[in-house]
Amino acid sequence: MAGLVLSSVKKRFGAVEVVGGVDLAVADGEFLVFVGPSGCGKSTLLRMIAGLERVSEGRIEIGGRDVTDEDPSKRGIAMVFQTYALYPHMTVAANMGFPLEMAGQPKREIDAKVAEAARVLRLEPFLERKPRELSGGQRQRVAIGRAIVRQPQVFLFDEPLSNLDAELRVGMRVEIARLHQALGATMVYVTHDQVEAMTLADRIAVLNAGRIEQVGAPLDLYEDPDNLFVAGFIGSPRMNILDADVVGSDGGDALVSMPRLGLEGVAAPCRGAAPPPGTAAKLGIRPEHVGGAEGATAMLAGTVTVVERLGGVAHVHVELADGSGFTIESREARRFQPGETARFGLDPRHLYLFDAATGRRV
Amino acid sequence: MRRSLAQNLVLALGLLVLAALVLLPFWWVASGSVKLPKEIIQRVPTMMPHSFTTQHFEKLFSSSDFPTYLVNSLLVALASTAATVALALPAAYAFFRMDFPGRAALYRAILLAYAFPGVVVLIPLYGLFSAAGLVDSRISLVIVNVAFALPFAIWMMRSFLASVPREIEEAALIDGAPVATILLRIMVPLIAPGIASVAVFAFIASWTEYLFASVLIVSDERRTIPVGFAGIIGQYQIDWGLLLAGATAATIPVVLLFALVGRWFVAGLTEGAVK
Amino acid sequence: MRNATLPFAFVAPALVFLAAVLGWPLLQAVWLSLQDVGVIGSQGRFVGLANYAAVLGDGRFWRALLRSLVWVAGNAAVQTLAALGAALILNQQFPGVRLARTWIILGWIVPTVVVVIIWRWLLSTSGGMINPLLVQAGVIDRPVGFFASRESAMTTLILINSWRWFPFTTLMLLAGLTRIPGELYEAARIDGAGAVKRFTRITWPLLQPTLLVLGVVGTLLSFNVFDVIWLLTAGGPAQATQTLPVLIYETAFKGYRLSEAAAVSVITSLLLMAFAVAATRAMAADEAER
Repeated sequence: MAGLVLSSVKKRFGAVEVVGGVDLAVADGEFLVFVGPSGCGKSTLLRMIAGLERVSEGRIEIGGRDVTDEDPSKRGIAMVFQTYALYPHMTVAANMGFPLEMAGQPKREIDAKVAEAARVLRLEPFLERKPRELSGGQRQRVAIGRAIVRQPQVFLFDEPLSNLDAELRVGMRVEIARLHQALGATMVYVTHDQVEAMTLADRIAVLNAGRIEQVGAPLDLYEDPDNLFVAGFIGSPRMNILDADVVGSDGGDALVSMPRLGLEGVAAPCRGAAPPPGTAAKLGIRPEHVGGAEGATAMLAGTVTVVERLGGVAHVHVELADGSGFTIESREARRFQPGETARFGLDPRHLYLFDAATGRRV
Repeated sequence: MRRSLAQNLVLALGLLVLAALVLLPFWWVASGSVKLPKEIIQRVPTMMPHSFTTQHFEKLFSSSDFPTYLVNSLLVALASTAATVALALPAAYAFFRMDFPGRAALYRAILLAYAFPGVVVLIPLYGLFSAAGLVDSRISLVIVNVAFALPFAIWMMRSFLASVPREIEEAALIDGAPVATILLRIMVPLIAPGIASVAVFAFIASWTEYLFASVLIVSDERRTIPVGFAGIIGQYQIDWGLLLAGATAATIPVVLLFALVGRWFVAGLTEGAVK
Repeated sequence: MRNATLPFAFVAPALVFLAAVLGWPLLQAVWLSLQDVGVIGSQGRFVGLANYAAVLGDGRFWRALLRSLVWVAGNAAVQTLAALGAALILNQQFPGVRLARTWIILGWIVPTVVVVIIWRWLLSTSGGMINPLLVQAGVIDRPVGFFASRESAMTTLILINSWRWFPFTTLMLLAGLTRIPGELYEAARIDGAGAVKRFTRITWPLLQPTLLVLGVVGTLLSFNVFDVIWLLTAGGPAQATQTLPVLIYETAFKGYRLSEAAAVSVITSLLLMAFAVAATRAMAADEAER
């Protein structure tokens, strides 16, 4: 087992920089998830770790060894692909045994290891079948099995669940989590699905336009985002963002105004000193932190456009006075009807203030 | 989609015309080859043979050079097929699955080979072969056939190679398979239909080649079927019975081959057609 | 992936082979065209562009070029029409369609010489099927020699060559047709388009790229056809079917004027190359527009 260190890793395709200077240390046994919108460079980054993509600049270490220019097969990694990438003409057993066969291991040892992996993944009845005779979930388990038998130092997963239907996805997610606990191996996992990221990760790295926006434990990212991008990307439905002006300060809080929404002097907590008055800012609040209007210090009103009733909760979409959209999560689905005016209060303890120019939390 | 009765009728009629167009000539030739000479040149031809004789085939196989031509054609075609596949496979793999400087330019240069009439290189090639002492040898035919089949064969493999997901190769790379192993253990089994269709194409190209065989082969005992037959056609008094039997006999090998792997060949031809 | 020389090792055998068997002789053909070699194997003197001047000043070259153009255009027209019809039929679903799609190509896979025997016999005045059939249908009064007159010889050759090649064209078109998503036709039906409208508004426009590729490839392939013509008419009667490849062959191997034949070859190659380059440019431009 070993950790993984990326030092200012860059990837350029021609003049286009796809990954721009990523620094990251993944501890031994850690489960790290790269998450980000499509095209953010997360898959490219993973493929560089795997050695499938040349590193334009920077350095990759696995287990303290520089593997930047090492062959994929000699890096001590195994990879599970989105499309499973099973060898269609080989049986399940042959698929799982292939890496060992390539390493020149004796047949008896291969058989033993394949049998063990098959037992762990409950694939024993399918060992003599071809991949096309298996269901999607079974194929995914074979792909994982092929990774396990190599006993790699680092497991790499490239959106492994996105080809599965919703129900299977939940099952496989649990299975991967179980596997991580059982093997205690370092795992690096790429996904665009924040639910997968939140549930699986020890730490999440949020990527945007080839750069890491923030790295941290799932709940830290959720409760304490560093910037507008992370605030908007983590959490569903998305955090509401309102334009605001800083007008003053009160202790550690900044006082902000949103004249077009009729709000003056709302106190928003800051990480450090409040920004000087006149700073253009963005005020964020999550839909679940929007409450009833009674007794609230900051109150908003808008016209209800759509109510999505999910059962336990409802997502109420509202159009505010300035025409911008706003989402509320409410447990009282029946209270809202489209076309009616809704009044609600913002919980001041859950307000996030960002610098409008840089997007950074203040 | 459902079809109306009228549409079905039009379709059936079209199919009938198509079948007649393609198959009737072959039927007339095959049925003619068992007719007595008298019936063959009858003023009003018969659809079904009224007479039956194997005399043309007997003559073809016992007193003509056809068996020699047949063996020569088979030898040349099989050798051309093997060499074409052996050269085309690694080249196609490099062209369509690897990245290297000059890839596109080289590929275009290879395709350009199709812009030239074969007769252009015939004259200089004759000189080269005679300098190498290869004129009047079956090897010279193999060399020429491979050269003319190769560009198309490489092009034909493209869609088959493209149908193998890149991840499969990458998985093999991570699993520690060397390139040669990836090619032979992973790619070859997966593109077997493509290899089959390339092989059929190379075989047919060689089987039908006339121009070079007519110039490069001098002695009768090394002639292939196309050239050997052309010699018989050229004679003043045409023995139609013999020629029809010969045409039938020369068709049978490719028909057999096609019955085995024709489906793949057609797939290979059409898959590659639309990029 | 890491090994930069590996791809070259893979393409090298094919490339070296093609360079030796096609590339080098091509250069030699150019060199030969600048000399005055007559019979194969004899020595020649360097004569510069004299052969080119002779060829371009000779009416035979221009007439052969014209015949080649007629040949290409005739083949293109007949094959495209026949293939389009056949492809539309084979694009339907019916029992045995897979067999039909495979065996339509029968005429293309047999040796040219077999095609020649088939049609020589079918068109012959003694025992051939075609003459009696045409007489019966009232198209002609009495049996005709199809290769006897200048006009009918060229037409007959074009039809025979098209018979051989239209299955190939059919399969290419069929590939283009199967690429058109079925949902488009269903959507058009729901929008109220009839069979004709569906063809003119969906099939035909979406088939354009395939037709374009076929036009280029087909032109090159049929331009270079030699054996069918040579074996059926040898360019006759009275040079009526002497296309450029036939002229080259005849000049070199019957007329024993190798260098002159080489000059014709080089001119022909340049013409075809110019066509190929222009066509691929046009296709690339067309693609960019889409």
